[in-house]
Formats: sequence, C-alpha cells, structure tokens
Amino acid sequence: MNRIIKNNWYCFPILVFAAFVSCNSDADKEQQQAYVHQLVFAPGDEAKVLEALLTIKDSTSILLKAGSYTFDNLSIVKAKQVLLKGEGKDRTILDFSAQSQGGEGLRITDVAGFTISDMTIRDSKGDLLKINKSRDIVVRELNAIWKTSDSTSGGYAIYPVLCKNVLVENCYAEGASDAGIYIGQSDSAVVRQCKAAKNVAGCEIENTTHAAVYNNEFYDNTAGFLVFDLPGLSQRGGHVKAYDNYLHDNNRINFAKAGSFGTSWGVGNAAPGSGVIILATSNVELYRNRIINNNSSAITIASGFAVGETPDKINDQYFPVAQNIKIYENTLEMGPAFPGPAALHHIGKLLIGIEQQLNQQDPNRKNKRIPLIMYDGISTNVLTKKTEANPDSICIRQTGDNVFVNADFLNIEKPAAWKPSTDMRAFVCQ
Amino acid sequence: MRKYFVITAGILAACGMVLFQQCKGKPAKKNGPAQQAGFEFKARLSDYGFFKGELRALDPLPGVARYELHTPLFTDYSLKDRFIVLPRDSTVHYQAHGPLDFPDSTIIIKNFAYTSEQHQKVLIETRLLVKDPADHEWKVMNYLWNKEQTDAVKHITGARVPIRFLDEEQKPVSTVYQVPNTNDCKRCHTQDGALMPIGPKARNLNFSPAFLGHNQLTDWVNRGILAGLPDLKTVDQLPGWDDAQHYTLEQRARAYLDMNCAHCHTRTGDAYNTGLFLEYEQTDPHALGILKSPVSAGGGAGGLNYDIVPGDAGHSILAYRMNSTEPGTAMPELARTVIHKEGVKLIMEWINAMPAKK
Repeated sequence: MNRIIKNNWYCFPILVFAAFVSCNSDADKEQQQAYVHQLVFAPGDEAKVLEALLTIKDSTSILLKAGSYTFDNLSIVKAKQVLLKGEGKDRTILDFSAQSQGGEGLRITDVAGFTISDMTIRDSKGDLLKINKSRDIVVRELNAIWKTSDSTSGGYAIYPVLCKNVLVENCYAEGASDAGIYIGQSDSAVVRQCKAAKNVAGCEIENTTHAAVYNNEFYDNTAGFLVFDLPGLSQRGGHVKAYDNYLHDNNRINFAKAGSFGTSWGVGNAAPGSGVIILATSNVELYRNRIINNNSSAITIASGFAVGETPDKINDQYFPVAQNIKIYENTLEMGPAFPGPAALHHIGKLLIGIEQQLNQQDPNRKNKRIPLIMYDGISTNVLTKKTEANPDSICIRQTGDNVFVNADFLNIEKPAAWKPSTDMRAFVCQ
Repeated sequence: MRKYFVITAGILAACGMVLFQQCKGKPAKKNGPAQQAGFEFKARLSDYGFFKGELRALDPLPGVARYELHTPLFTDYSLKDRFIVLPRDSTVHYQAHGPLDFPDSTIIIKNFAYTSEQHQKVLIETRLLVKDPADHEWKVMNYLWNKEQTDAVKHITGARVPIRFLDEEQKPVSTVYQVPNTNDCKRCHTQDGALMPIGPKARNLNFSPAFLGHNQLTDWVNRGILAGLPDLKTVDQLPGWDDAQHYTLEQRARAYLDMNCAHCHTRTGDAYNTGLFLEYEQTDPHALGILKSPVSAGGGAGGLNYDIVPGDAGHSILAYRMNSTEPGTAMPELARTVIHKEGVKLIMEWINAMPAKK
C-alpha cells in the first residue's frame, strides 16, 4: 500500500474512495458482499465444501445453505479474511460423527480474520472447533454440541488457542468432556451472551491475557467458569474480568475422568458443584455475577501448589499463586448440601472435609454449609518465608454471612495442625 | 485550462487503471515482468518425466536422486520411495540444523506403497513438495495411484483407501489407509507459518543406506548435489531407531520421537500449545513430558495424569496415545491408522527403563 501511495500520490483521494467502494471494505466484514470470493453450497455438496476449504483464497465467504451436512473433518490453513456462515443456528447443521482421523471436526490454523456464524457443529470425536495460531476471530451464533456428555465427547467445543483478538458471542456449547467454551494461550478475548451446559467446565480462560467474560449463562456443568494458569506453556494469563454472568446449578459429575487411575490435571481438578474456580492466575476481577446453587463452592481461589505443582515450575510463563484477585458485588448462594458427585472427586472430598472441620471446630456454626468463597490459603509466604496476613492482595467485598474460608491447604493432610479459618478481616477490600 | 483538464483527466484515468488492477488482482508484485512464473502442479505424475520405463517401477531418470532416512516417520507400515530433483546446475547447501537449504524449483518426491498378501508392491499415493521459484515457498501436492497402477492423478481432497497389507512380521492387516488432504500435509510441514521439508535434514541423511553401501551425504557431494558439507566427523547423526547394535535405547527412542512427533511437538510447530516438545535436542524433562500433566488432551489422556511416568509406561499418556487408533486419542493424529507395534515397544521400554521417582 505504501508503495502505491508513494508512486501515485496524486490519486490518493481516489484511492481512498476506491478502497471504500470496490476493495475489501472494513466497515462490514460480516456481509458476504464484502468478500472478493463468494461461494454458496447446499447439503449434498460436502465434497465441494471440502475442496473449497482446501483451495481457499484470501477474502472468501462461504455460505452453507440450511440443512444437514456430514463431514469427516474440515480445515482451513493459512488464509486472510474468511467467513463461514450458515443460515441459522438451528438450520445449518454440520455433523462430524464420521470423523475418522485427526484431533477435531473443524480446524482453523494460521488465519487472519476468521468469522464463523449461524450454524450448529456437532458430534466430532476430538474437539469440535479448534482455532490455532490465528487472529481477529469471531465465533457468533454457533451451537457446538455433543449429544452425550461423557468422556468420549471431544475435549473442547469452541477452542481458540494461541490467538489474538477473539470474540465469542451468542453461542451455546454442550457435552464437552473438557470446557464448552475454552480460550487458551491467547491475548484479548471476549466471551459474551453465551450459554454452556452439560460440559465439565462451562467456560474456561486458560493462560490468556486481557479477557472479558460477561452476560453469559453457564449452568448444569461440573463447574461453571474457570480461570486457570498451567505451567510450561507459552505465556502467563491474567487481566481477566468476569461480570454480569449467571452461573448456576453446576453440580454435574466430573466426567472428564476416563480411567480408574484418576485425573488430577486441568479440568479434572474441578469439583462437582463449583461456580467459579481461579487457579494460579493473577489479576482477576469477579463482580456483579449471580453465582447460585453451585453446591460445593461458589468461588474457589487456589494456587498451583494445591494441585501438586512445585516451585521449580516458576518462570516468566508461570507463577503458581493467584495474586490481585478482586471479588465484589456478586450475588452468592448455595444449596443445603453438597451434590452427590462431590464425594467421588478428589477435590470434592477436600471441600466436604473443610465443611466438617469448620463445624467440628466451632459448634456455634450449627452445621452451616462450607462458606461461599474457598481460598486455599497457600500464599507467596511459602516462597518468601514470611507470615504476612494477605501478601497476595486478595480483596473481597461481599455482604452476608458465611462468606469466606481460608482452608489452610498447607496443613490439610495433618489433622492435628489443620485449622481452616473463616476470619476474613485481612481479605476485605480496603 | 482545457490543457489542465485533459492532463487531470488523464491522471485520473491512469489512477483508475492502477487501482483497478490492484484491487482486482492479487498482490501487485506478482504482475511484474521481472517475477518468475509460479510453479504449476501437473495433472499426472507421469507428466513430470521423473522415471523411466514403467512408471510404477519408480526407476529414476538421471537427475532424480533416490535417498533414504536413518529414522523415518511411521505410516501404517507403508513402503516409501524418496527422491529429490534439483533444477539444472544447482546444488543443495549444507545446514547443520533443520532441513538442508534447497534451491528454488527443488522437487522432493515421496511415494507410499504397501506389500499385499500376494507379496506385490501396491502403490497408493505420491506426494510432492516443491519450492516455488515465484515466492521461494514450499508447496504441496498429492497424486493418487489408479487401480490399474499405471499412473497417479493430482488429488487434493484426501482419500480413504481400504487396504490389506503385510506388516513387519509378514502378518496380514486390514485397514483404511488415509491419504492426507493438502491441509493435512501443511499441518505437519509448517514451521512458524512456513512450509518446510521434514525428513531431509543433514543428520537424518548422514548414514550409509543399503541401496548405496556408503555414506549418503558424501555420495551427494560426489554427485554434485550437495555443497558446503564439513568434515563428516563434525556432522550430527540422528540414530537409527531400530539399530540396537549401534545405539542405546535412549538414543533410539529419542530419534523415534523426533521423527514421529517433533514436527508438531516443537515451539514452531502445530502442537506449540501443548508445551510438550520432543525434539532430539530437547533436554528439559518437563518439556519432554516427564511428570508433565497434559494441557488439552481431554479424554485422549485416558484418565492418566502424566505424559511420562518414569519406570511406568502403563501409566504414561505418551505410550497410551501411541497405542490407540481412536481419533481424538491416537498420536500422531495423522498418517497412522494402525498401531506401530515396534514403535510402541521401543517407547515403552524407554519409559520403563527410566528410574522411578519418589
């Protein structure tokens, strides 16, 4: 572009105009007309769709007319400005149950400017939609569904990873044996007006920076919403805000566990009955959410140490202690008892134990539920050898009774020393 | 006044032409006369004239050089024939790390076949990697052999070919062989966004294949194919994965993982997000999977906790996934529909030989 302007500076005004009317317009990318190549397919054209994606040119829109399509798998590699659009969430259906190879149904790699909208994708063997190493991604009006919620159902339903600028909106994810909506190792992501149900995790933000999650409803999962950092990956996460979400009735059994040996990593650590879990991620704000009837823990704040990580994993891409966590103005409620599946889960058992221990320590509690916010209490004191009351700036401003417990995870396996505490004075926002 | 009007109108028209071309065409630089014409894949394998006599014999003409790799990728026990074709009067330049430096218009040919129950060699597909002189980037294409075995035809969409072949132990095995589509090709061959050859690295060519009887790199130098080769003693060698006489278990296992996994499981590869990096040079135990929890394996991890549990292959996800053919679990994800028994055995022995950690 620079060269054009330099050599033809005298026609700059016309250039601007021409760019506006005839070149790829920035103004309304979602409209098919904005793309240079416009393709339309109908059910029965599956082979043509596959070929079109394999030979895709920059600036291409693909409209899949209403109806059912069956695919083994589909992929788009290395392109700019691609729109894949159906005629409605419930009208254009892509069925990947015939998947015979690979890790996902629909795979997008190295695309700058990708929008997928207005369709249902379903029943792949691996992940449903994986978007890898791409930027300027919009996932809109998309259902991503497995018909059965069990450990054979993919990992993730909607899965952008190593991406920049991601918007997921008005989507629905169901049946994922990991997270329904998952943003991993990405920068600048928004998840809004989405729903997720019957997954292990409704939505997960992992090792991702600058994420905003709002106006969503995550319900009937094992856990509603996770903000996790794991070690050994490309970047730390953080600067994550979640607000105005409705996270309720997430009490489902953790079906990520596929063997008898147990799964103590990633989403396998989510106890049935969890509303929000913040694990090892710093700079997280939770506010104005309604977090209701997640009956093991409304909000959990845990360090990587609580799930077996060790200090040698610390580097520029990982810090196991969650710091600068702000929790305020949420509506928090829990039901009268733990969900049945909690007793079958390794973290669920710990939560049950915390409730029992608190009630044993203090008969005046009159057998109340475990407090709404569970903090594992493993702070940077373990690294600095100090004894500060709140060295990691955990800040909570929530009204009501039975709000908080520092669960003293460091001593949880030493019955004589273990003293979970409901004293939250040091953790109240100043 | 009138004169100015004419000039202005002329300029406007010229601008219009420029803009028209630049909007309509692809990048303007491609239209320049100085640019070399881009490479166009031909319709049939026979159109290239790589081979003499009957095509299916894959008998190379002069200028088409057969080569082998010390440790290859496993692809359903297929028989592989590899060739390299250089443009006239050009040479490959030695690189100590990564693929050799190939000149523009290099064509790398890889043919896949199997041994039928009748002990016939049946050709399935031929893959080409071409370094396009127009943009110096590698391009991929696939050719699918016809039933008559007379020619192979350009084929981009992949295919599922039912076959019944003899494995290493001469036992018949039935499977549906997966011919990759061109995006599948790109998946393994892309490093940092650019397509690259995987096999022809100096260290993996640095041995004496049976068909030659002497060192392959030296042979390439003698034939004028390769320039810049330093003293062979200083050139790395990737161990042969199945050569227990000359290499340790550790060396063989690491060479196997390098060639079968590390094109994706490396920082510049498709599996960057996993944090599992299996290059031969890798020394970080966590990156190699030792007591490393997976990130996004989901049910593919089989309910196991770590990629590698030292001393316990039975509880190591790495071995579990190699030992599966189920999509979503099987690793590598592509190019394999049956289990490589010998490969799984090697990796399990390697893991079991690691001292267990308390």
